[in-house]
Amino acid sequence: MAVSFSNFCCLRRLLISSTSCSRAYLSGFKSNLSLDKLYPTSRLDITTIPKAPESKDGKFSGYIPMDRIQVNYVRSGGPGGQNVNCVSTKTEVRFHLASADWIPEPIRVKLAERVKNQISKEGYFIVKSERTRSQQLNLADTLDKLRNLIHSVAQSLVVPEVSEETLERQRRLRERAARERLKEKRAHSMTKQGRQSPTLDS
Amino acid sequence: MAGVGNRVLAGTDRALDLLRELPRLSLSNIRSNPKAFKRNKRGRGQHGGKKHGAGNKGSGQRQNFMRLGYETGNNPFYLRVPKEPYYKGHHIRREYPPISLMQLQTLIDTGRLDTSKPIDLTALCNTKLFQLSPFENQYGFQLTDEGLDNFKGRINIEVQYAPEQVIAAIEKNGGVITTAFYDAPSLIAMRDPMKFFASGTPIPKRQMPPENAVEYYTDPKNRGYLADPDLVALERFKLAQKYGYELPDLKKDPELLPMMLERKDPRQIFFGLNPGWLVNLKDKKIFEPEDEQLLEYYRS
Repeated sequence: MAVSFSNFCCLRRLLISSTSCSRAYLSGFKSNLSLDKLYPTSRLDITTIPKAPESKDGKFSGYIPMDRIQVNYVRSGGPGGQNVNCVSTKTEVRFHLASADWIPEPIRVKLAERVKNQISKEGYFIVKSERTRSQQLNLADTLDKLRNLIHSVAQSLVVPEVSEETLERQRRLRERAARERLKEKRAHSMTKQGRQSPTLDS
Repeated sequence: MAGVGNRVLAGTDRALDLLRELPRLSLSNIRSNPKAFKRNKRGRGQHGGKKHGAGNKGSGQRQNFMRLGYETGNNPFYLRVPKEPYYKGHHIRREYPPISLMQLQTLIDTGRLDTSKPIDLTALCNTKLFQLSPFENQYGFQLTDEGLDNFKGRINIEVQYAPEQVIAAIEKNGGVITTAFYDAPSLIAMRDPMKFFASGTPIPKRQMPPENAVEYYTDPKNRGYLADPDLVALERFKLAQKYGYELPDLKKDPELLPMMLERKDPRQIFFGLNPGWLVNLKDKKIFEPEDEQLLEYYRS
């Protein structure tokens, strides 16, 4: 093996000093399995923050802006000794429902109707969770609850497009059911009449 | 058949229509009535079964003319002890000794871990607080979520496994976490670099993860070291939404950015040292190969 000497003191970790570069880890050693060879079309940048999906056309995108809601941590209830008495693990998420424009208008209206018992006097909707022992997991659970609630309200607003054939078929089935019911009713009536004693008229 | 003519015809029409659609009758779509024939319960040996042509008692039946292990009817030795597969494959299973976030925070607070440099397995072993024995199937460290709520360190850390909430806790504080795989020889080098350099062996190249681990390390959700960084960026955003925090912009701190983004190549073991290099601590020199074949080997 042919050798060459490198002075240890001169060997430094290769750090990119350029401030605009977000691909610092491409410096240094690069094998045939380095990320730029595995993903040649990628920009290899973990720092990009994608744009938040917008809730438009009355559809909720699922994005909850954290600066528009207030998060409170309070002590949870139930048994648990010192831990439950001292650690604030119950998470409350509250926001003013009427002014929450990150929820589309029709969904907001229907949501206000559905949770009217959980809205405070000032109009703040509160979602709580004390499911786990951890604040962070409880916060995740609270946001999950909120998202699921908004999605279910959105689903209930969606009117499914029904084809003419389906409507026609439903109408025919309804009429047939009514006919069958009346036929049964008449037959039952005849049975009951037949149990009565005959009169001189019949 | 006058009065009921229409109904009978309708029935026949329907039957004929059905017949046109149904597949052809064959042995594969008919079956006998239940209990039409009796199934032989003892399948072993079929028509040569029961006494297997050995007759009754005596030397003929008892002198082991039958299959190996058969004990003339009583429960044979090889079937007496049941299988208890609770520990099946335990010798092949990879272990990851845990380090909790609480411990990590304590190390940062007491100055035992330098947050101005990336933290990898070597840094954790250098604290001398955690032992790793690759000979006992230990493949690195995993981060546990004890102390999740109180974690405040801003670090660039590389471990072998971390659950979702731990990844969220680290990224929430503006840090970067990566999960990477190291094979056993690499681990032996990493856990005591001084001893390894003193042994006079060139730095090996890190092997790829085994088949059942490739999926884990190529998944951006796990921040795998083989995952596409663009997808990792997207997963960072999604996790911030899931756990309810504003994703910190890493580019806001340009002095710390290079350190935060510093990562090893998938074949690299030490930061700043390439595979194939030979480190001489005594003379403070590093030797690197010049032969093209060797260079190609260490690069591949």
